[in-house]
Amino acid sequence: MADIILQNVSKDFGSFRAVDGVNLTINSGELFSFLGPSGCGKTTLLRMIAGFEIPSDGSIMLGQTEITDQAPYKREVNTIFQNYSLFPHMNLYDNVAFGLRVKKVAKAEIRDRVHEMLKLVKMEDQAQKFPNQISGGQKQRIAIARALINKPRVLLLDEPLAALDLKLRQHMLIELMNIHDAVGITFIYVTHDQSEAMSISDRLAVMNKGRIVQSGPPDDIYERPASIFSAYFIGDTNMIRGEVTAVHEDYLELNCPDGEGNYFDIDSCFQDAPEVGEHIMLSLRPEKIAISRKKPKEQDDINFVKGQIEDILYLGTHTQYIVRVGQLKFRVFSQHKRVYFDDEAPDWEEEVWLFWHDSDTWQIDFKESDILEAEELDEVSGMRRYLKRGKS
Amino acid sequence: MSTSRHVIAEKKRNRSSWLLSLPTVIWLTIFFLIPYLVVIIYSFLTPDTYDVKFEVSFDAYRQIISGGYLKSFFQSFKLASITTLLCILLGFPVAYYIARANEKLKNILLIFIIIPFWTNLIIRIFSWRIFLSYSGVMNQMLMGAGLISQPLEILRTNTAVVLVMVYVYLPYMILPLYSVLEKLDFTLLQAAMDLGANEVKSFFKITLPLSVEGIFAGTLLVFIPALGAYLIPQLVGNQKSLYVGQIITYKIKNIPRNWPMASALSLTLLLLVALMLLIMYGMYRYHKNRRKY
Repeated sequence: MADIILQNVSKDFGSFRAVDGVNLTINSGELFSFLGPSGCGKTTLLRMIAGFEIPSDGSIMLGQTEITDQAPYKREVNTIFQNYSLFPHMNLYDNVAFGLRVKKVAKAEIRDRVHEMLKLVKMEDQAQKFPNQISGGQKQRIAIARALINKPRVLLLDEPLAALDLKLRQHMLIELMNIHDAVGITFIYVTHDQSEAMSISDRLAVMNKGRIVQSGPPDDIYERPASIFSAYFIGDTNMIRGEVTAVHEDYLELNCPDGEGNYFDIDSCFQDAPEVGEHIMLSLRPEKIAISRKKPKEQDDINFVKGQIEDILYLGTHTQYIVRVGQLKFRVFSQHKRVYFDDEAPDWEEEVWLFWHDSDTWQIDFKESDILEAEELDEVSGMRRYLKRGKS
Repeated sequence: MSTSRHVIAEKKRNRSSWLLSLPTVIWLTIFFLIPYLVVIIYSFLTPDTYDVKFEVSFDAYRQIISGGYLKSFFQSFKLASITTLLCILLGFPVAYYIARANEKLKNILLIFIIIPFWTNLIIRIFSWRIFLSYSGVMNQMLMGAGLISQPLEILRTNTAVVLVMVYVYLPYMILPLYSVLEKLDFTLLQAAMDLGANEVKSFFKITLPLSVEGIFAGTLLVFIPALGAYLIPQLVGNQKSLYVGQIITYKIKNIPRNWPMASALSLTLLLLVALMLLIMYGMYRYHKNRRKY
């Protein structure tokens, strides 16, 4: 069952179009995320669902009712604000009770429901404290209790963890998921943090420039990005561009320029069969690439290419290598002790072999204009220079 | 040993802080403490036609306690209360609007609030006299617009006094209110609306409680000077019902002079103001303690 239906929703601020023709259905009980860089329109979209902004165009449905122009206080929707917005002049009990008091619910019922909520967020022993006497994580819990006590159909969360430190963020993320399971209502979550969105969501929508670029389950978007933007925004990636030289039943052969006049050949699985001579773009996730000093044994479904290590970043859980192949720079995530064939990890300026399986690459539809976007997104690798040169 | 060194340092610091506050202490002694002592002494002397006889007398206080000037005190209290209330009612929307305006408009509006201070108070009151007078601008305009057939006699009434009082003291209410409203987090109002409170409820449950400090500060700045008002009632009011400020002046101006009475009235007024301050401070403390933010 659908809880929120957005039909062709747009929002203009003066001449700036913040949200541009969004169509989306969010199912009942789902934990749905809007993910995108700042200014992509995700918060504006959330504010339109909450009622703080009225769409310039299109309609919003909450279940069977249209709520496009409805005042915020009439909607069965509650919001967790980015800075929590707890009322500083009320203690935590009064903060949580606010919604019920406004609706003139009987005192005894208010007391029961407030205690039930405080218990849900594990704050029942702090009811008499004031917002400035508790920590960020606790404020977060109170904000959740204050919203959920109204039994909304949909809970909106506007970057709720942005103000917390990393450890607490991870902890609260799990807590949020538990609360979502406990109350069973629809959560709409807005964030610019892709790892947050990936770990918490049932489905998510990647947004850019007011539009939804791609929506679906997190693993789907990660494994099968629909555009350069999705591929770069959800995780890191390498883009390989090449000319199709042969198309077989379940794989194709590709001749790729390295930007310095040399070419290397790779094989790849494909989705929609391209024609020989066509230029296509592949996304290759850094963790799928293996790295080794020695040339690997020739195998049918393994691709390899030789490069030189330009940069090594030790990141604890893994090491990131930037490997130069001509003008092309590959980003490689390698887990320690998993360096193939060698006992010691490769060092700076060393020549190494990169290799990956045919099915590790994913073909991406692209327009020339997308390349500019990739430039904004990926500062580290020299991919954009290569991509631009690949055109000629 | 370290303790003794600490004590010496403490003493040194105390001495230097004394030295630093010395100019203020001298200033306050000469221009505040000594004059007040003179007033206190005068209030216990016997009046003479022009000056005082140095004979101790409690007549002035006896008259005040027996209620001789009760009507004037009541009159002054009423004026101060009405002025303060009207300033809050008129000042709040203005302060709210300025606080929510964009940066550029905000500065322009604040300048408009402050500009009147650049003109002398007496000149401003006199312009009101001209404006309100029987054949003045206001009456001509209203008659020209056909709203009234006969000029209104506003000048020399208590209405005129309240009008000009509110005009003069309004900025003193707007500015402190603006300073709290400017700091008010407006997402709190959105949060209230989100939780089901309409605009009116959000105002009374969020905006108003969070601007109490501004209302206190504004009341302090308006009520206390309004209590001792002299100039405005004198220039635009009538002489039928006198305010305390006017009576004090008459006691000194009119012959036979009554310095002790004037002094005693001044001190009583001071005492009342101090009492008011104490009550307001108590209320403020209560408010603060109840809501520990």
